[in-house]
Amino acid sequence: MKLRQAVIPTRQAFSERMVEYGSINTDFAVFEADIGYSTYTYLFGQKFPERYFNMGIAESNMVSAAAGMAAEGRTVVVSSYGVFLSMRAAEAVRTYVCYPDLNVKFLSSHGGVTAAIDGVTHQATEDIAIMSTFPNMKVLCPADSPSAMKLLDLALETPGPVFVRLMRDPLFDVYSEEYEFRIGGSHILVEGDDVTIIAYGDMVMQALNAAEELGNGGISAEVIDMYSQKPIDKETLLKSVKKTGAVLVVENHQKKNGLGYAVPHYLAKIDECVPFAHLGLDDVFAESGDYYQVIDKYGISSRHITEEVQTLIKRKKG
Amino acid sequence: MSNLQRDKLTDRIERLEGHAREVRIRIVDMIYKAQSGHPGSALSAADILAALYFDIMNIDPSNPRWEERDRFVLSKGHGCPVLYACLALRNYFPLHELDTLRKFESILQGHPVKQKTPGVDMTTGSLGHGLSIGLGMALDGKLTGKDYFTYVLIGDGELDEGQNWEAAATASKYHLNHLIAIIDINRLQMDGFTDEVMPKYSIAEKFRAFNWEVLEMDGHDMTDIVLTLEKVRLAKRNKPVCIAADTVKGKGVSFMENIRVWHGKAPNEQEYRSAMLELKGEN
Ligand SMILES: Cc1ncc(C[n+]2csc(CCOP(=O)(O)OP(=O)(O)O)c2C)c(N)n1
Ligand SMILES: [Mg+2]
Repeated sequence: MKLRQAVIPTRQAFSERMVEYGSINTDFAVFEADIGYSTYTYLFGQKFPERYFNMGIAESNMVSAAAGMAAEGRTVVVSSYGVFLSMRAAEAVRTYVCYPDLNVKFLSSHGGVTAAIDGVTHQATEDIAIMSTFPNMKVLCPADSPSAMKLLDLALETPGPVFVRLMRDPLFDVYSEEYEFRIGGSHILVEGDDVTIIAYGDMVMQALNAAEELGNGGISAEVIDMYSQKPIDKETLLKSVKKTGAVLVVENHQKKNGLGYAVPHYLAKIDECVPFAHLGLDDVFAESGDYYQVIDKYGISSRHITEEVQTLIKRKKG
Repeated sequence: MSNLQRDKLTDRIERLEGHAREVRIRIVDMIYKAQSGHPGSALSAADILAALYFDIMNIDPSNPRWEERDRFVLSKGHGCPVLYACLALRNYFPLHELDTLRKFESILQGHPVKQKTPGVDMTTGSLGHGLSIGLGMALDGKLTGKDYFTYVLIGDGELDEGQNWEAAATASKYHLNHLIAIIDINRLQMDGFTDEVMPKYSIAEKFRAFNWEVLEMDGHDMTDIVLTLEKVRLAKRNKPVCIAADTVKGKGVSFMENIRVWHGKAPNEQEYRSAMLELKGEN
């Protein structure tokens, strides 16, 4: 799997595709909360001014208003940063969007510590836990721009609420045009026999780098991009784990209630109990700084994956 | 005012204007070095913060947690370079720390963090919470019988958050006469002019409707700032005070003034040089 340097961040790719999709689906509206030049939804506003509403710096009001419009039958894409959507507006999302199962889609930027330089107030590191706990919500996390564009289509074509977690800065691209994406899907980016590494978003790049390094040391790692966080792709997960007999989940999110809780929960329920490791924010807030320095300090860079896999392998039976 | 009083005031104003200029220089310098941050937002509040930190507020830099001190909450947390500059220039921490703004393991985070920066009274960065925080601080002052003032600086765009009005109602209910909200009315928010993004109508009238005492001042005229802030401290009243400050986003660096993109963009080398020349009065 070749990584390419990304030219644009996923937030931009998603919004650019949204502009294209605006001509395919001429009904949906876009709500923004005064960060349209950051989420790039202003592009939609330029092309479709009558379907673009800047709701000001008032995220909770925006989500409830989206619920109102969606209750009238119109799909609404609501845009903001993950911290504000998942926390400031959480009750509106839960009670007024998820409970009535309305067609509101969340364009959620600054996922994980990808907003490293802005500091903790802008780093959404509990968003997956919060959003995936709400019944009816589907949660998607594209790793790169090509998949972000595909997931825009998927979000709009899937009934009910969908949350899409995007990133602040351009990092890397991995997918080509041919890949297809679905709710509850995933992609095996590298096949391997000794261990399954599950990642999503920016962590896919770290997982791929780790897999390469592990390969040099004679360990064959399988890397899965679990872009659908909720529901997860149980079938692919199970098949992979049966083959490798060990699994590591790495996420740019609090460990607590992240993907690393969903994966072993599922495996344990079906008695598929293999050695398991989990990398993520360990019940801490991160800090401001260069993205690569921050992910390294908080234990989610490729060298941590490599080290953790080496110990994990030793825990395998036989 | 006697001639002597007038001369004293003139000296005081000149001194504060000098501090404000120094604060602006530091703002542009640290954002340039970080290559990230919000220059327009910080510059907009430079004169107000210079007056507060170099004159009006009762504070002791050698004892940042002094219990009797006046409190300050930068509700528009993204403007923090202005606060960091004031704190450094008042010796809360060494000036060279300003060079580490937004960098890895710095005491100066992208948005203010109470436990990392000496002199920062409260963590902020998610807009719309500052007035509620100030409300809690002022309530505590009443409860403990202390007579410190609590200042909260709020952006005009930030007033979109409805929570401000929940705080306004509560502060008025409890007659928090030592709570002072200063609104930085620069008529711009992130996506453009407030009139386009979300019209504010009369901010002063809104606060009056919540039974606040409202004063208006020119947020860049040091004499007006000092006299207004002083008046607020001296007058007897039983309500909270809102100061509606008329400001210019990016004030002091002409190419940044009133321009949307300077909300959250660092200057490049050439822009940095010309901003510095202008601020230092060398062109
Ligand atoms: C709750 C919340 N929503 C959105 C943002 C992103 N944001 C940062 S600054 C800003 C605009 C602020 O405008 P204003 O209050 O007028 O402050 P100014 O920079 O003009 O002084 C926005 C929307 C935020 N920090 N917090
Ligand atoms: Mg403003």
